[in-house]
Amino acid sequence: MTLELLASAFITGLMLGGLYASVSIGLSLIFGIIRVINFAHGAFLMVSLYASFWLWYFFKLDPYLSIVIIVPLFFLFGYAVQHLLIRPMFVREKALVVEPIGVLLLMAGFDIVLSNLALLFFKSDYRAVISPVASTAVSLGFVDLNLPRLIMFFLSFFIAGALYWLLNYTEMGIAIRSVGQNRDAAALCGVNVYRIYDFTFGIGTAAVALAGAAMVPFYYVNPAMGTSLGVKSFIVVVLGGLGSIPGALIGGLLLGVVESVTAQFVPATSAVIFSFLLFIIVLLTRPKGIMGVLEV
Amino acid sequence: MSLLTIDRLNKRFGGLVAVQDFDLTVEKGEIVGLIGPNGAGKTTLFNLIACFYGPDSGRILFQERSLIGMRPYQICALGIARTFQVTKPFVNNTVLENVMVGAFSRTGSAKAAREKALEMLQVVEFSDRQDVLGQELTTADHKRLELARALATEPKLLLLDEVMAGLNATEKVHLIDLLRRIRNQGITLVVVEHDMRAVMTLCERIVLMHQGRKLVEGSPQEVASDPQAIAAYLGEEYAAA
Amino acid sequence: MSSPGTGWEKGSVVAKRERISLGWLVIAAFLLLFLLVPLFLHDPYPLHIFVLVFHFAFLGTAWSLVSMAGQLSLGHAALMGIGGYTSTLLFMEWGVSPWIGMWAGAIACAIIGVVIGYPAFRLRGPYFALTSIAFAEILRIYVENTEVGPFGIPLRAAMGLLVPLRGQAPALFQFDSKEPYYYIALVMMCIAVGLSYLINRSRIGFYLTAIRSDQDAAEALGINSTKYKLIAMAISCALTALGGTFYAQYFRYINPERAMGLGMSIEIALVGVVGGWQTVLGPMIGSILLTPTGELVRAYLGGTYAGLHLLLYGLLLMGVILFLPNGLNDPLVRAFRRLEARVWGRAGGAGGVAPPARPQEKQPQQGERG
Repeated sequence: MTLELLASAFITGLMLGGLYASVSIGLSLIFGIIRVINFAHGAFLMVSLYASFWLWYFFKLDPYLSIVIIVPLFFLFGYAVQHLLIRPMFVREKALVVEPIGVLLLMAGFDIVLSNLALLFFKSDYRAVISPVASTAVSLGFVDLNLPRLIMFFLSFFIAGALYWLLNYTEMGIAIRSVGQNRDAAALCGVNVYRIYDFTFGIGTAAVALAGAAMVPFYYVNPAMGTSLGVKSFIVVVLGGLGSIPGALIGGLLLGVVESVTAQFVPATSAVIFSFLLFIIVLLTRPKGIMGVLEV
Repeated sequence: MSLLTIDRLNKRFGGLVAVQDFDLTVEKGEIVGLIGPNGAGKTTLFNLIACFYGPDSGRILFQERSLIGMRPYQICALGIARTFQVTKPFVNNTVLENVMVGAFSRTGSAKAAREKALEMLQVVEFSDRQDVLGQELTTADHKRLELARALATEPKLLLLDEVMAGLNATEKVHLIDLLRRIRNQGITLVVVEHDMRAVMTLCERIVLMHQGRKLVEGSPQEVASDPQAIAAYLGEEYAAA
Repeated sequence: MSSPGTGWEKGSVVAKRERISLGWLVIAAFLLLFLLVPLFLHDPYPLHIFVLVFHFAFLGTAWSLVSMAGQLSLGHAALMGIGGYTSTLLFMEWGVSPWIGMWAGAIACAIIGVVIGYPAFRLRGPYFALTSIAFAEILRIYVENTEVGPFGIPLRAAMGLLVPLRGQAPALFQFDSKEPYYYIALVMMCIAVGLSYLINRSRIGFYLTAIRSDQDAAEALGINSTKYKLIAMAISCALTALGGTFYAQYFRYINPERAMGLGMSIEIALVGVVGGWQTVLGPMIGSILLTPTGELVRAYLGGTYAGLHLLLYGLLLMGVILFLPNGLNDPLVRAFRRLEARVWGRAGGAGGVAPPARPQEKQPQQGERG
């Protein structure tokens, strides 16, 4: 176990962490404000990958350029999901502040529906984009970095930063935060809580779709890929702290590094066990996570 | 031996001092009233006696036995029952089922529990609503339900937190009567109330709490005419009572 | 239930009165029907579907005991896997009959359930669910990647375990034909539902409902909530383990992906949720609806349309949550009551909970929770 190998694993882990973080930040926002654990998060990611892929396939649109279409499209998608599916649940459960299990199951069902719709329509073939960017590598001396993955790493910071700016420096963002802190008080101040929920869900979905589009250059697209990354994003969100966006960023990077480094010592598939164990330990000992502010 | 002894009890939540240097002795068979403005610490005191949390310092003795460190369900076995200021009925169960839950604390048999529950509902005169769901009751009904439920646990000491809230004058008189009958069965009562007339009528001894401390203690007449009590809580109108 | 939206958290009210006079007759009739089916039906495939229905009804009912404690478990397949693996390994390595081995699995799972439940029950709803998924995945991934486990136990990793074939060997829980499995599964289902019913009516059942509704109030009434939640968990885990042994013996093969996977956990939970996840008859109802549908769709359309039956499950789940949050149990029981009222010519009972005062009904009805 040379230092070079370890350092290389560390850097690879950071790249992987960038992916995890990008995918998870949207989830953290949704959870922090709406208190909904979106079980369909992985499916949303998968759908955004397919959307970007088909845009490339039919219109030769480079995945990075497709972001211009993907992000607004999925904002609307997320908005619709919250408005049409989740909101009726809230209306029904007015008294509850803590996330009801109903929404969890609803989204789990939605995840199953989306995954299998994709399976039915697109079949289980693995698809990949052929792009000049995809195989470019940046050399760091002791390790070569795949360019799209490097871009993903920086993207995670961009997403985190963009959401941070949105939440702290725009009127919409402040309204969102107020709803997250105290729904009723915000309502009394004239904030349309349900509309904020719609927007928040839309933004969170747009964020994950952005990550999805940026994944297409280096990730095989198939219906099942959403599940594993979806599960990972839950781990990240819990690790980093429910409702904390910087936490999701840090949690994602941390998870990536932990996985990558442990994979040097145990087979990669078993390394996943460590992630789950970490998840359980954090939930049971420090449910707030690294930077979280919310109660579990 | 006093039934309940509270000695120099202290509890704070962060920066807020809820209960400060509180002493109280309750003898068997008494009806003690606990009054005071909102935030005085009355419900905190009840929560401490019922062991929902522990005090920072001080002692609580029930029949000479220390309650410190016990869990709420153990308190019930010892013979202390309570109702809640913000009622907590089991909303998806009927009134009868609610009371049966209380009765099960003394028996393992569903049949015996049901009989006990029916009996308790008769005592509080709630038998006609026995098949109504918890969620379909009014708040005042909830209070009566909690009373029956607590009685079903065969307590020696009953802590009632604003059990008269939401009742009109006639109903209150009725309830005072009922509570006296309950006491005559051998159950000691500590009652938190805001209706002064009811408290003065029902209670033999009154304790006034203010900002976590015991401010005044005595018979209803003594408390009503105490200048500190009047200043802190009662106001001039009650001086005449 | 007079209010339109009964919260998802709350248990079903109407279900607690499932025990009605006409209900017993209907149940007896169904039971008789089930007992007689194999005498007239010899085609193995329909019999297979029945077996699956009973099997999932059993698993769903066992699972619902944890729901009674107010927690949603999405990792129950792990327990099934442990049960199946335990009995199979005991058979393969030491020739212990699965009839005996299954109890070892049940005890092991009960212990595991308590050990995991003790810290995990502190977590509220969704977090408990996530934790249960995590535990199940850890177990599955571990077994999937381990050829030989601790103490030299051959786990065979992803290949799974093939139950050594012995043909017609009742003492070894193996049969040539489907009929014995049919009856065993039927008996298991009846035991599970019966147990659920008894628990519901007893002190444990009352206590679990109280804990679910309001844990603070429950504790004030002398209920040690942790103890009762763990009791429910232990029973649930033990039963599920028994189901795992049946699974292994019926399919004569068990592997981590199928038996311990998230898919199986969700199928088990689905049956319970669709039917009514905190009720006695709910999981059975859910299984009767879902299992044949899914199985037939998979068998006939699964080739060309892979994933169609899962899509259906997903849609059904969403539909139930959105429109019938307490599962099919409630509307069915309500409809049944209306029928009963008409049959017996009584007033009331239509369109909702049994009316408040039922002086003409038998004494035992009142206060009991069916």
